[in-house]
Amino acid sequence: MAYKPQYGPGTSIVAQNRRNQMNPGHELEKLRSVTDEDVVLILGHRAPGAAYPTAHPPLAEQQEPEDPMRKIVKPTDGAKAGDRVRYVQFADSMFNAPSQPYQRTYAEMYRFRAIDSGTLSGRQIVECRERDLDQYAKFLIETEMFDPATVGIRGATVHGHSLRLAEDGMMFDALQRCVLGDDGVVKYVKDQVGVPLDRPVDVGKPMNEKWLKEHTTMFHSLVGTAFREDEEYIEYIQRIHTLRTKYGFMPKEE
Amino acid sequence: MAKIERAQKLFLKSLKEKFQGQDVQSEKTQFYNFNGVRQSPRKREFMEATKAIEAKRGISMYDPERCHLGGIPMGQRQLMTYEVSGTGTFVEGDDLHFVNNSAMQQFWDDIRRTVIVGMDMAHATLQKRLGKEVTPETINEYLHTLNHAMPGAAVVQEHMVETHPGLVDDCYVKVFTGDDELADDIEPQFLLDIEKLFPADQAEELKAEVGNSMYQAIHIPTIVSRTCDGGTTSRWSAMQIGMSFIAAYRMCAGEAAVADLSFAAKHAGVVQMGTILPARRARGPNEPGGIKFGLFSDIIQANRKYPNDPAKAALEVVGAGTMLFDQIWLGSYMSGGVGFTQYATAAYTDNILDEFTYYGMDYLKDKYGFDYTQPGQNMLKPTQDVVNDLATEVSLNAMEQYEQFPTMMEDHFGGSQRAGVMAAACGLTCSISTGNSNAGLNGWYLSMLLHKDAWSRLGFFGYDLQDQCGSANSLSMEPDRGLMGELRGPNYPNYAMNVGHQGEYAAIVGGAHYGRGDAYCYAPLVKITFADPSLKFNFAEPRKEFAKGAIREFEPAGERSLIISAKN
Repeated sequence: MAYKPQYGPGTSIVAQNRRNQMNPGHELEKLRSVTDEDVVLILGHRAPGAAYPTAHPPLAEQQEPEDPMRKIVKPTDGAKAGDRVRYVQFADSMFNAPSQPYQRTYAEMYRFRAIDSGTLSGRQIVECRERDLDQYAKFLIETEMFDPATVGIRGATVHGHSLRLAEDGMMFDALQRCVLGDDGVVKYVKDQVGVPLDRPVDVGKPMNEKWLKEHTTMFHSLVGTAFREDEEYIEYIQRIHTLRTKYGFMPKEE
Repeated sequence: MAKIERAQKLFLKSLKEKFQGQDVQSEKTQFYNFNGVRQSPRKREFMEATKAIEAKRGISMYDPERCHLGGIPMGQRQLMTYEVSGTGTFVEGDDLHFVNNSAMQQFWDDIRRTVIVGMDMAHATLQKRLGKEVTPETINEYLHTLNHAMPGAAVVQEHMVETHPGLVDDCYVKVFTGDDELADDIEPQFLLDIEKLFPADQAEELKAEVGNSMYQAIHIPTIVSRTCDGGTTSRWSAMQIGMSFIAAYRMCAGEAAVADLSFAAKHAGVVQMGTILPARRARGPNEPGGIKFGLFSDIIQANRKYPNDPAKAALEVVGAGTMLFDQIWLGSYMSGGVGFTQYATAAYTDNILDEFTYYGMDYLKDKYGFDYTQPGQNMLKPTQDVVNDLATEVSLNAMEQYEQFPTMMEDHFGGSQRAGVMAAACGLTCSISTGNSNAGLNGWYLSMLLHKDAWSRLGFFGYDLQDQCGSANSLSMEPDRGLMGELRGPNYPNYAMNVGHQGEYAAIVGGAHYGRGDAYCYAPLVKITFADPSLKFNFAEPRKEFAKGAIREFEPAGERSLIISAKN
């Protein structure tokens, strides 16, 4: 019988949202559109229209040794072309941002190929070949994993995830890479490391509080769903801890 | 688990002071209008000081409005003050970096310059090998001689250089013994009187451990251990001990029997504060990485002063431990710069960890009838179910407090800060109530797992690595995999790389013994040595001392003005 992932425990809406983001069979809603050029501008790795710089010749031009793994694991387009490995990094507000650091990593591991993620408290980075990254970043910005106000695309100086929101609802950003325009649309005026852009990049209107509460993947007793209310989730964590304590990393039931 | 209510939250006063004129439960605020770094009086002082320095040396220096983020100075949000927990003293964050805080420096100086040396073997060698009589009178005479020699004075040779007493006035030697009769015969100036320094039950326990033996508590000059290193302490002390024995007991400086005395007096009975570290960490004895958590908990004296409040006693260990292990050991010995201070101070400022810990104490009373103010009474059996229950409730409460008070979340703006503080409260609740340090560590790791899944975040990469595999080693005793908490330390395999843990672990270990009402955790000799009121740093109140350092009222050793030119 084929393994069927369960993605995670819990009876709450937060738990279900987590499973939805992780499950590649679940289609995440596309909420906004950004152009390929917009993505390139925000990422800041190369000029729009420029060719992808390479770290090595295309695989087809290389004399690759006989290797059964190479036959099993098909290279991504970026790997085939020999692209550099580059990154996109997100900061997610603890005020009900739709995705959160570990959640991003889990979801990306299920949905993307050939990635290397890093998870911290205030940010999550994912690295991969550049042309693959452009696709992944576009997905991460256009779908329900993104909110223009409570999610920031930040390569450095990420400070803000745990702070109160600004009065206009935007997450704090010392570099103010994105601003809420008078038209209610959030515009990136700097790339992810803070270099000013030649033109602003629109990433859409902030989602409202009701939507955020219904779509967030973080428990929060003040603005969302309290962790205490999801007893199944807590029991699951206690069980994992107990089994690891007793049996190390080969857990088994007594 | 079932939530309980606490009427007065200990962190509220701090939050109201830090965020004046604001609702501390507000979810929104203003940014970008605080005038950058100039909102902070301390940063302005730094900028002003820099002008004079640059004019004098002709090299640029502190320039936050040009160099920070390419022209965007820090302070786009409010730069907060901090209350040192349990003190009522508010300080600037900068004043809690150890470079800016003389009390923090002296805390470490006083540990590094300390060594304990037994006298029994020396006395036996004197009597049996050299035929000398050893009496309380000769011991007193020896101690006079030693207190002359230890700071850096000659006792045997002619035409020797010596140190200026004004530079080494923090150096001295006292002795202690469990033999009341012998103690009575020692001059009071040289005696650490266990009876007077400790509560009666603790004194009895300690005297029983020491027995009829006698030990020297030696503190070499701060200026020496600073110029050299922790490995110097026992060497400097050994040289002066040897010379003092020769002088006090009128011995020949060259006969072979003195070699026997030298080994017996100088080396055989030595107790270092820290063990030597392996080459990859490249430190000698008496350096922070070699201090076992049990021993560190004995250095801190809060349980001597507050025997009926094991929570406070343990919180003092947290403050002292995070300062030493995070700010000085990991933050400067092993790394460098300024970032580590933020991790450490979260655990001893604004009464946040204090509130979480006392919540645990209240929960213990409410659910299990354990009264932390009566150490050793109604201790809980350290079962997995008990640990799970305690750690879960204390974690849930802590997370809810951060959620209900967004300004507190803003105060502890980094995940590692919050993770360390929440897990510490869990660990302390488990260890104080069970008297079992490993049960406390186990509670720490459940807290980490709960935190990670509730908020989908924890600390930084390495931080998480340690905490996500901690459950599996917390109760293990297998070599290279586990150890009882008292014997773990900063260089324990899984603990060696991460800020935000080691001070808290030390407190969890200490808490187990404070909860039981023990006089000491691991090293009774160390407990007695640091009870000394003559030490520059008061080890019963480390957080108050750090606060004094922050507001520039602490008077450290290591004075050099005697030998440098007057600037004004």
